[in-house]
Amino acid sequence: MKRRNFLKKTALTAASTIFAPYILPSGRLFARTGSRKVNHVVFCLFAGGVRNIESIHQNEGNLLPSLFDGPFSTNPGIQFLGQSPWVQALQHEGTLFPEFRYQEGPTGHFNGHTVAVTGAYTDTSLNVRENPQMPTIFEYYLKHNSPSQTALNAWWVSNNLGPYPALNYSKHPDYGSRYGGNHISPPNIFDFRQLSAIDTPAIFQFHEEEMIGEIQDFLNKNSRGVGSLSSSGIRNTAEDDAQIQAFIQSTIQQVYSGAFSMPFGLSPNFLTIDMLNILFTQELLKHFQPELLVVNMTDIDVCHSNYTEYCNALVRADFAVAHLWNTIQSTPGLADDTILIIAPEHGRNLEPNTLQDVYGRFAIDHTSDATSREIFCMILGPQGIVNKGNIVGSASNPVGESIDIVPTIANILGFDVDIPSGLLTGSTLQQAFV
Amino acid sequence: MNTLESKNAKQMMKSWILPLLVGLCLLSACKQTEDLYIYEVNNVEVNQADVEKVNLKTDLEFVSIVYSDLFGSTLPAEELSQLVRTYNSMGDKKLVEDMIIKDLLTRSDVDMPTSADMFADSEQFVKDTYKRFYTRVPSEYELWFLKNYIDTHSDVTPEIIYYSFLTSDEYRFF
Repeated sequence: MKRRNFLKKTALTAASTIFAPYILPSGRLFARTGSRKVNHVVFCLFAGGVRNIESIHQNEGNLLPSLFDGPFSTNPGIQFLGQSPWVQALQHEGTLFPEFRYQEGPTGHFNGHTVAVTGAYTDTSLNVRENPQMPTIFEYYLKHNSPSQTALNAWWVSNNLGPYPALNYSKHPDYGSRYGGNHISPPNIFDFRQLSAIDTPAIFQFHEEEMIGEIQDFLNKNSRGVGSLSSSGIRNTAEDDAQIQAFIQSTIQQVYSGAFSMPFGLSPNFLTIDMLNILFTQELLKHFQPELLVVNMTDIDVCHSNYTEYCNALVRADFAVAHLWNTIQSTPGLADDTILIIAPEHGRNLEPNTLQDVYGRFAIDHTSDATSREIFCMILGPQGIVNKGNIVGSASNPVGESIDIVPTIANILGFDVDIPSGLLTGSTLQQAFV
Repeated sequence: MNTLESKNAKQMMKSWILPLLVGLCLLSACKQTEDLYIYEVNNVEVNQADVEKVNLKTDLEFVSIVYSDLFGSTLPAEELSQLVRTYNSMGDKKLVEDMIIKDLLTRSDVDMPTSADMFADSEQFVKDTYKRFYTRVPSEYELWFLKNYIDTHSDVTPEIIYYSFLTSDEYRFF
């Protein structure tokens, strides 16, 4: 009898050890998180409205020589920046979906960005003054990834302000700011042209920090402020806060000391806002090595008024993204453990508008015609994880759409199985993986 | 003659009446102005210690108010624009507020009492600080606590007190 009890207890102990439940932030008892493909994902929104006519079909010659095979454009007014920062066209580093689709909803920049980070199409009711309705990839990651991480591992790096800062978390009742990623807009902080507004901080010693803590604690306990401060956005932990402040201060001092005087090895005259954003994204990646980072570029949108400058913005964005890949592959901890996804948020119209540039080329808008829904997507990653040199889909057989990127990121980081059903309608782009 | 005198008397009266009427009108007007000062409002303390603040400051309000609270002047438009841009460039508002406040506190033209002034009259310093940043008077308990804190911590500085107020929860509300 005693032996039976002993065996029973032993079996129960062993079973509980093996199947010990984790109480996840999502409320799940068991961590069902699947296996990861890599530990870092960088999603580069090659945004601003890029037509497949110029990118994939190369009607102006190859404007994206770092991304695609093909001789560089020889058309007048288009400037070659120099040898690509990466040894070969990036399409050989992974899988290209040349006929990707932005299937539904208005082809507006904010709509496109929202679709890209939420994996859900939007309609004309999208409010640019509010956070999205559906959860963002940052919230899915911070809520469902196991083990739980802080927002130091989830970054939204936007090249501009306006409505874009709102894309780091949603208004969804089950998610929201408590699962929000960090947002930063480097071109608005690390500005080469003027002194930063936060470059000479008061520095408090440890015992002074202790006094501040005591006084603040007293003040907060007696606060007459009624209401929640949570509406003011995400809040990092004290440790993460200190790390981020130190990173920002150190980067500002590097800017002042001229450490970035030849960004990308180019003259600063070539530097665009997009390139500046990628430049500081690289610093952020090297410093924090986050598991998830989304960065955008939008200078390409000059196409509304100047087609030739649109072509040149594509050339610069192409150069910048190759430099980003080079940085990832040169950084221990990120190299061979990072998947880079590149996709525009939407395309542009087939028909131009009436604005002509000095070369006689007409500008192009994006008003939701069929051509403005045609984009590409590229997934780059390590050998043995990502199918290299692979091309999936064609004009007659388009494969993949914008809402597939979020589930693909979730699948790469292994938490896709934990996302409640009904939130994401896209699918993992399995063809990209071995 | 009588008629002539009577006419002259009437003319004289007329010549007197007009200025007299004008004078009376002016006098009454002056008197009305004086009446305005009669209806004075008794001084009432609106910055009571137990006031509830229910409105969260917007980004623009926060940046403008922290500047005017520290420097006693309106933020120049160009600098306001830069500060708001910096403020909006970080998702963690507490973090960026902290960085902005730390930067403003190091500027030479910030309107801050010296440590000697603070220690010389800590009670007045606490009252002034509450009024300046919280636009209210401190409760008796608040006054006692902070006055005592200053009196018993010789290494506390006005900068530490200011920073603590500016980064406190109540300062986000009005």
